[in-house]
Amino acid sequence: MKAFFETFKHDTWVMPYLRKYKKLLALTLFLGLMTFFCGSALMFNSGYLISKAARHPYNILMIYVPIVLTRAFGIGRPAFRYAERITSHNWVLRIVSDFRKKLYQAVAKHAVAIRQNFQTGDVLSILADDIDHIENLYLRTVFPTVIAWLMYLMIVIALGYFSWWFGLLMLLMLGLIIIAMPLWSVLINGARESQSRKIQQTFYTQLTDAVMGLGDWLISGRKTDFYDRQTAPIDEIARLRRADHRFQWWRDFTIQLLFGIICLALLIWSSFYWTTNQASANWIAAFVLSVFPLVDAFQSVSQGVSEWPSYQRSIRRVNALDTTPVDETDQTVLTEQFSGLRVADLDFQYEAGTRPIFKKLNLSLAAGEKLALLGPSGTGKSTLLKLILGDLTPTSGSIQLNDVPISRLQNERAKLFGVLDQQPYLFNTSIMNNVRMGNPDATDAQVKAALKAVELAPLIEGLPDQYETVVEEGGARFSGGERQRIALARILLQDAPIIILDEPTVSLDPITESHLLATVFRVLQDKTILWVTHHLAGINYVDQVRFLEAGAFDMAGTPQELYATAPRFKRLYDLDQGHDEV
Amino acid sequence: MFDPALFKLPGMRRLTVILALLAVVEGICIIIQAQFLSVAIVGLWHLKSLATILQPMLIFAIAWTGRQLLVVFKNWLMYPIVEKTSGKMRRQVMQKLYQLGPSYVAKTGTGNVVTTALEGIDKVQTYLMLVVIKVIDMMVIPWVILVYIAWLRWREALFLLAIFPLIILFMIILGYAAQAKADKQYVGYQRLSNHFVDTLRGLPTLKQLGLSKQYAHNVYQVSEGYRKQTMAVIKVAMLSTFALDFFTTLSIAVVAVFLGFGLINGTITLLPALVILVLSPDYFLPLRTFASDYHATLNGKNAFADVQKMLALPVPTDRDQLGEQPLAWQADSTLSLKQVDFSYDDQQPALKQLDLVAKGYQRIGIIGASGSGKSTLINLLGGFLSPMPGHGTIEVNGQPVSHLGQTAWQQSFFYIPQNPYLFHASLAENIAFYQPQAGLSAIGQAAEKAGLTAWIKTLPDGLNTQIGEGARGVSGGQAQRIALARAFLDDSRKILLFDEPTAHLDIETEAELKQTILPVFEHHLVFFATHRLHWINQMDYVLVMDHGAIVEQGTPAELAAHNGAYGHLRDEMVGAI
Ligand SMILES: Nc1ncnc2c1ncn2[C@@H]1O[C@H](COP(=O)(O)OP(=O)(O)OP(=O)(O)O)[C@@H](O)[C@H]1O
Ligand SMILES: Nc1ncnc2c1ncn2[C@@H]1O[C@H](COP(=O)(O)OP(=O)(O)OP(=O)(O)O)[C@@H](O)[C@H]1O
Ligand SMILES: [Mg+2]
Ligand SMILES: [Mg+2]
Repeated sequence: MKAFFETFKHDTWVMPYLRKYKKLLALTLFLGLMTFFCGSALMFNSGYLISKAARHPYNILMIYVPIVLTRAFGIGRPAFRYAERITSHNWVLRIVSDFRKKLYQAVAKHAVAIRQNFQTGDVLSILADDIDHIENLYLRTVFPTVIAWLMYLMIVIALGYFSWWFGLLMLLMLGLIIIAMPLWSVLINGARESQSRKIQQTFYTQLTDAVMGLGDWLISGRKTDFYDRQTAPIDEIARLRRADHRFQWWRDFTIQLLFGIICLALLIWSSFYWTTNQASANWIAAFVLSVFPLVDAFQSVSQGVSEWPSYQRSIRRVNALDTTPVDETDQTVLTEQFSGLRVADLDFQYEAGTRPIFKKLNLSLAAGEKLALLGPSGTGKSTLLKLILGDLTPTSGSIQLNDVPISRLQNERAKLFGVLDQQPYLFNTSIMNNVRMGNPDATDAQVKAALKAVELAPLIEGLPDQYETVVEEGGARFSGGERQRIALARILLQDAPIIILDEPTVSLDPITESHLLATVFRVLQDKTILWVTHHLAGINYVDQVRFLEAGAFDMAGTPQELYATAPRFKRLYDLDQGHDEV
Repeated sequence: MFDPALFKLPGMRRLTVILALLAVVEGICIIIQAQFLSVAIVGLWHLKSLATILQPMLIFAIAWTGRQLLVVFKNWLMYPIVEKTSGKMRRQVMQKLYQLGPSYVAKTGTGNVVTTALEGIDKVQTYLMLVVIKVIDMMVIPWVILVYIAWLRWREALFLLAIFPLIILFMIILGYAAQAKADKQYVGYQRLSNHFVDTLRGLPTLKQLGLSKQYAHNVYQVSEGYRKQTMAVIKVAMLSTFALDFFTTLSIAVVAVFLGFGLINGTITLLPALVILVLSPDYFLPLRTFASDYHATLNGKNAFADVQKMLALPVPTDRDQLGEQPLAWQADSTLSLKQVDFSYDDQQPALKQLDLVAKGYQRIGIIGASGSGKSTLINLLGGFLSPMPGHGTIEVNGQPVSHLGQTAWQQSFFYIPQNPYLFHASLAENIAFYQPQAGLSAIGQAAEKAGLTAWIKTLPDGLNTQIGEGARGVSGGQAQRIALARAFLDDSRKILLFDEPTAHLDIETEAELKQTILPVFEHHLVFFATHRLHWINQMDYVLVMDHGAIVEQGTPAELAAHNGAYGHLRDEMVGAI
């Protein structure tokens, strides 16, 4: 019980919605109640009708009321049921849409570090598994249970009105069915349900990881390993489910037996209570028959409730997501035009206690300047770019645009920066849509011009679907260099004063590369460019070159200066030319 | 309504017969139970004492218990088959996935593949468990009951009989409508999970484009679209439930009224009337339980069809033309391709008329413009793509093979793809991915060769650091070197397929790495696709690709001598700086 309340203590996923849609919820419950009421009432009424008719009343009018009622209940039941189903599903699905959005927002908050914070499979299992289960929480647990309890109350009161001791007996018997049995189910089965949920969830993450790295599995030839790993949870889940099912069968059997006993109890009670005269004996059939439609309503409660632990798990999981909105009070906008970027005394490390990536780093870049950033793999070039974008926060030191700290310009980012990541992602939609993401207002002609600038026009126009060709997941339809160029086209469309390029020409051959660099620097000539590169092709387009080494700039200057003065630069140049006598 | 594919499941036919027999017994139990309950009620109605109805009450109790036991027994019979089928299906899906490989995933979508394998098969399981018993009950129990009612009084029986086909007809009509909608909904569901995974993977990019906030709306819209589809199905599916409910409840009401008149007229006595009244809900019950889960059934049916479809996809056969043991590639081994064509879509060839002979421990460089087909060629050599049948021949050591997806061949090479994937596992496990039994010191040496040691020393957990999704990030070049380390780990595989292994490395790191890579190339057949031309000096042989064809091949000296595509690239490179 304590755990039950704890689950909802800081809940932002279940309770708020129950409150928000209170009226609709009440309607759903009412409709559900009416459905079962009509079902029982129909049998009650029919029982009475024929018992009464069997007394050969002298006039048909004597049974006229039950006849009409029979029809009314006969029509009422399906009608209520239909209405109930539609409202409840609609309600739940609406909430689920809200959930998905909320889930996305929770994840999107960590957009930059998403690859570090989440596993795709994890989020997928929240999406496919947990959210669906919260959906079932309402449809299978909350609604049926509440409806059954309301029904229970009505029955007990109604019977208590005729005879208090029989009312009490039914309070006990039905209570066994809809209170004791469900609790017992949770106790016995709950652990199993949540255990199998847990396995299912690891199954999700594991399988997603394996599917995304399927190519490597294939190459490794570790076929048996792959099967074993992916099929290991199967038996475990099967074992749990088997036990689960067995339990359910016998539990349902027990519930049915209880109903059988209730029937007998009704007969016995009737033999005392309703056999005083012929008129009252007409009610016996009515009472006994009305029990059967209730079986439906009451039986499902146990199952619904025993699923609670698994829902509880889901609720906990979604609640564990950080959904607090980002504090945006200190956000401002850049009032004048961008005039310069300044990085001062920057210190940074990813986690306390790890190697510092930067030590007292200084850098300034005036509007319109172009800077190339070089350095050995893993020194922190990409990290520096992330710091400049405000995706990471410096340990100390400052990063400012026109004297405004970058952390206060986060809402403006897309207007200020155009970014080509080291791992740009192509979405599974058409080329046109992918490129247009750079600037949703771009015309078709502009998009095509951008694709032409990255030298993809001939290729694309040769495809059957041309610009509407779907790139497939992660851009798999295209070669590495083509993907890179589609992503680059996106940046060319973007109208931002600062352009950040992290290895824009990776996977390109020297010819395409040099053409592309010429295009980039021509198209973006009046922008400020920060360009991470691995070799020296196109280095003459920039005004400044920086070498990042062990957390600080090792060399700095114009390409010409460096070529003349720094032997290391000259050596790099030679290496790049293919004279590799190191 | 009843999927023929179900009957193909092993053991299903026999089970169907048994279940049908049990259903007959259940029907009889229902009749006994109704009969004796009515006897008891009528006894009381005649104002008899409790003692006189004890015997019918007892019989009722026994029949009731028997009926419930039968339900358990039927489930008990059914479950093992369902469990076996769904477990087997899950295994088959995994195997198939492995056979179909990444190109299938790229086309189908990761989200879709994963949810089909997990949620989809769960749905199948529920479906199997529900549908078979329900359908059999529906086809047996009503008739048993009807025969008894007819024996009691033919008029009500005739009415109940007449109403049955009417209901079925309605259900079929609505069922078709619901099915069509449910198909759409199922597609919608797959789109939803694909969309979400796609969005998640591209989230950093969305953020950079300033679209991540707006996208929340997009997610909502896609979800709402799915809701509308689901509601459309539910409306129709529930409408069929409604129609059914309506007809059955109304029929019961009509029967009750009929009986009432009959009783007034004295054409029937209370006992048979009551029995009929008690039996009529049971007459409809199997039909109703079938319909009440109709929606769930539809989903399960679609998932079932979907899985069956995936399992039926063609996979490369003839994978053992070279035997099952790894090849012993030696100095005199040969691989030759003659006039081989390959196409992604069976229309335009992506690789044309490939002619190529690789001998012994040659080092073969592959160069060419972006999109010229280097990766495609390497994938073909790795057997991940199959050439167009009937176009050219491939021979390994003189033995013709229809493709290179040969078990023996694939166990003899290492392949570093253009975009290696890092698994959510420790650094050591990632490096030892191809060689899981490798020891820690061997892994350390491989990392050393890949130039990772200095970095690993800075990590608190060293080789045990968790990397990959949801763990510590690594730089682009580090990721690539981790993949390279995989190939350094083991010397038994004599063929190396490298697709731009140094693309993400800076020149200096690359130059250092070159010193460790080159010794590894000794005694290996190497295919090395690259844009960094300085590697060419270390190659024995070079293939120059353009638009899917090998336009030049020869030793680096030969190529340098005559001014072709290679010379052109080289000049461009020098001019570019
Ligand atoms: N999320 C992270 N958590 C902890 N360490 C990280 C994280 N991301 C990167 N690193 C580490 O920080 C260092 C700098 O990484 P960064 O990606 O900035 O390198 P880089 O200079 O861009 O290298 P490359 O040229 O290989 O892309 C690397 O040693 C890397 O392992
Ligand atoms: N799955 C696919 N379906 C259809 N066409 C494809 C597919 N993958 C690649 N292609 C096309 O085949 C051609 C060759 O691609 P490939 O990946 O082999 O090029 P590449 O030489 O490796 O280029 P890069 O240097 O850019 O990696 C390209 O034009 C590409 O668009
Ligand atoms: Mg980087
Ligand atoms: Mg390639």
